[in-house]
Amino acid sequence: MGKAVVIAVFRRAYAAFRGFDDETGSVPMMDGPLRPNALLDAMPVVLTLPDVDNLSAWRDGLMCSSGREAFRLVRSKDSLAIAERHVFEGPVSCLAAERGGGLAVGLDGQGVIVVEGPHAGRKISEVGGQPLSCPTAALFDGPDRLVIANGAASVTTADWKRDLMEHGASGAVWDVDLARAEAAPALLAGGLAFPSGLALAPNGGLFVSEAWRHQIVRIEGRIVDAPPRALVRDLPGYPGRISPRRAGGFWLAMFAPRNQLVEFVLREHEYRRRMIDNIDPAYWIAPALSSGASFLEPIQGGARKKLNRLKPWSPSWSYGLVARCDAAMRPIASFHSRADGRVHGVTSCCELEGAFYAAAKGSGIVVAMDIAGAEGETPA
Amino acid sequence: MYSGDVLKRLRYRYLPGHLIGEILTKRWIDNAIPFLTLIIVSAVFGMLIPGFFSANALGDLGRQFAEFGLIVLGLTIVMISGGIDLSVASVFTLSVLLSLIGVNIEGWPVLLTAAMVLAVGAACGAINGYLVGYLRLRAFLTTLVTLIIFRSIYDIVFLKMSTAIIASSSDSDLWAYIGNGSVLGAPASLIVTVVIAIAWHVVLSRMRPGWRLTAVGGARRSAYNAGIKVRRTVFLAYVWSSLLSALAGFMFAARIGSTGADTGVGLEVSALTAAVLGGNSLGGGRGSVAKAVMGALLVLIISDGLTNFGVSGPINSTVLGCVLILAVFVDMRWLRNRDKWLSKVYVSPAYLALPPLPSAYNAASPYALNNKLRSVEIIGLGQIEGPEDVILDRDDNLYCGTRLGDIVRFFGPDHQRHEVFAHIGGHPLGMAFDRVGNLLVCIGGMGLYAVAPDKTVTKLTDETNRSLFSVVDDSRLRLADDVDVAPDGRVYFSEATVRYEQEEWATDALESRGNGRMICYDPRTGATRTIIHKIVFANGVCMSKDGCSFFFAESWTCSIKRYYFDGPKRGSVEPLIANLPGYPDNINRASDGNYWAALLGMRTPALDLALTMPEFRRRMARRVAPELWLYPNINTGCVIKFDENGRILESLWDLGGENHPMITSMREHKGYLYLGGVSNNRIGRYKIDGADPTWTAQDDYWGKPS
Repeated sequence: MGKAVVIAVFRRAYAAFRGFDDETGSVPMMDGPLRPNALLDAMPVVLTLPDVDNLSAWRDGLMCSSGREAFRLVRSKDSLAIAERHVFEGPVSCLAAERGGGLAVGLDGQGVIVVEGPHAGRKISEVGGQPLSCPTAALFDGPDRLVIANGAASVTTADWKRDLMEHGASGAVWDVDLARAEAAPALLAGGLAFPSGLALAPNGGLFVSEAWRHQIVRIEGRIVDAPPRALVRDLPGYPGRISPRRAGGFWLAMFAPRNQLVEFVLREHEYRRRMIDNIDPAYWIAPALSSGASFLEPIQGGARKKLNRLKPWSPSWSYGLVARCDAAMRPIASFHSRADGRVHGVTSCCELEGAFYAAAKGSGIVVAMDIAGAEGETPA
Repeated sequence: MYSGDVLKRLRYRYLPGHLIGEILTKRWIDNAIPFLTLIIVSAVFGMLIPGFFSANALGDLGRQFAEFGLIVLGLTIVMISGGIDLSVASVFTLSVLLSLIGVNIEGWPVLLTAAMVLAVGAACGAINGYLVGYLRLRAFLTTLVTLIIFRSIYDIVFLKMSTAIIASSSDSDLWAYIGNGSVLGAPASLIVTVVIAIAWHVVLSRMRPGWRLTAVGGARRSAYNAGIKVRRTVFLAYVWSSLLSALAGFMFAARIGSTGADTGVGLEVSALTAAVLGGNSLGGGRGSVAKAVMGALLVLIISDGLTNFGVSGPINSTVLGCVLILAVFVDMRWLRNRDKWLSKVYVSPAYLALPPLPSAYNAASPYALNNKLRSVEIIGLGQIEGPEDVILDRDDNLYCGTRLGDIVRFFGPDHQRHEVFAHIGGHPLGMAFDRVGNLLVCIGGMGLYAVAPDKTVTKLTDETNRSLFSVVDDSRLRLADDVDVAPDGRVYFSEATVRYEQEEWATDALESRGNGRMICYDPRTGATRTIIHKIVFANGVCMSKDGCSFFFAESWTCSIKRYYFDGPKRGSVEPLIANLPGYPDNINRASDGNYWAALLGMRTPALDLALTMPEFRRRMARRVAPELWLYPNINTGCVIKFDENGRILESLWDLGGENHPMITSMREHKGYLYLGGVSNNRIGRYKIDGADPTWTAQDDYWGKPS
């Protein structure tokens, strides 16, 4: 281990001296199953709701979060309508729904509370002696077990850019036994670089999106049993929430694109320090859920408008990307909204009654697609 | 301000890092490695060998160089033409033998013998040249064969004549003088070689035959297509090579007065080593006399030095062989990587600390955001590409440049129909009318042009005086940007940058160094002179109404300055506006006595920070593809109005750039403001509330027509 680290240090120093990038500094092409298209843009908008975030199928409808609120949505003709509204004490950062009726809500900076079901009222605000400040995703494994991803030890989910820019790797996945009130959350995996999505693997274990390392890892059980194992690496975006598909496999929302300039800035320590200290995060050289709103945002050469048009292949801080993955989390197809698209910053997806929904937090809309007959086909 | 930034600022002000890149663009930089090697080798041997620099030793070296240098020069000529001549050594040896036979044995006059030897040499070269040039045989094999044939002839004749040669001698004074005479301390033969070398230097670098030779070696097919007689050029190269070798042989014979079985053995390898070591390319098209001379000196010094140490001949040859391989390797690496190194070091960002960004989100600020330009009328949508500047004449006709190299005229007053007013070829940028109605226009990459009302195009100027200490010749205009005319008719125009072409303007933004300048063209004398240096992207120019000064925009420092060309402050530059929220472009007069300026793009905090970190930008330029570089945000532009004292009066915006993503110019005419943008496909027309509906810039500049 030590030797490998030393070799890596020397290789990086040599790369810096010669001026080329080693494998950690280059962004993989969007190609193969992740080849760009405009399918997200082609989907009809079924709900417009600023900051719409975590979609989750619950009971006979959908739940979604937005700011301090959570909404129950029902289908009405070609769109979604708000049926119920819940307001919480803080910004909702994630939702977890259980088939039996359980519902847990993550509150940014505060923890996770169970609001419905047999364990309603249970609040998890500390994990391993630390406050649970960054609940990015939660998942019920049966009615009595709740798995929580804590994105980072000391920042909130709203501050995710800062964690990325500070090379954060303090995230963890915790296992909470709801049946025993006194039981302390158990650590499943620590040292993760912003775990931001959870899913139950088909044959036991968990899939976890590790956003800042652009990979999906698999956790077999407790940390003592086996360390997390990278399943899918080198994704071209930052992976976020994962939701299961009825037909098997998963939907993976990638909430922001990787960018060569961001990877470069991530290695420029002095610049990054000054940027973090002096500049509003909205104007950083960093991935974003939406972009182009202000002229104070930096732009890249390829993002200049030529003849009054922004080219779809322009480099962009934000993007819309959902991958359809197989049972081993390998992407097999994808839906995109490119630089000139309007469905940016997709943070979660959900399937309900033969329809696919994607919540674009950056654009504040939910788009939908009928998948009843199209299941299994590869989008063009 | 961070600790260490003061030092950084000083370092970037006083250490001109960009010169490294500029030096690398010079052609003579190819000679740097051989030259340094020559100096080091001379110094090393000079220290190790006593008397290395004595007059005697130098004289001896000079005589050897006279002969060897000629051979290397001949070989270089062939190499430049894209071939190789291995037979130089055989021709040399044959000439030695013929000279000795002629002068020593037969007693012919020295000059006659010389003529005969040269004729035989030329004949040998003609054989090579005919086979390689006209019959298109492979140079390497052909000259290898002639090497063997000429050498065999030498061996056969030498066998018969050896006794006679040893026994004979000549009492010709001229013969002795050629061999051992001196002129003012310099060996006579060396003088001959130096004269020939200088002549060839002039031919190769300054004259058509030399250029043709280089063209043939560099790209044979292109040379043929350009009308060069390729075969004859190649033929003559071999003739010259053998001729020079023959002359070398003649001088060698005069000096030594005898020959042996091993004369000239391995000489072709030495000559080849010398030519390559000097930096002449084996692939052809790249070489010079200076390289040949340096290579010859290097090889002579090395082999003489080794002999001095008592190293035997075969080992000496081995060493030279190794040096040859090393030289070929270095030459290959240099040739392959030079452009790569150049592109890596050419971009050399400077330190630029801008004052804190003024807020445009504050309603009380003169920059307060609005959407006044969102609703402008559109003219010529899709019919033009890249109207950097727009201008109107007295008859309401609207003129703009396009990136196709045209000046397009939209007919007034409705601007529905258009025609190509003039085709000049480069992208027209800033425009201005002079007193008699000629349209003066700056053209990127070409210079300053004038289009008369009858559409005749005249080039006014395309060069200015070269800067005193510039490494690269900066007299040609690379990016003439905007122009205006003083009351006395003098034309002032800006050149944005001398280091980049128009399409690379963003790289200049990345550098943010004072690469631009302001230039004055005087139509009375036809003279062009640079009047202000080191402007950080010189952009818009506009005459002040005081008649003795003009305003100019310095884009990357986000400032507008004023230059006095007349009056008491003549020759001085004053800052006018120091801290704009964007990058100023063209400036023009407004009807109310104030001035309009376009902001071509807006400042972003991330780029402002990067401007104070040149190393960061340099690494970015090296590691990140240009399309992914951090750019000035040119997707939103705005128009500001300022008064004579630099106070900002108002601003016009189109947020998000939906109608006009970028604005590079605006021109007021009869109550409307016409907007141009260098990457737009339209011209905008904005109705100015309360503006004088009869005001035109022509009247304001030159008075109403009588």
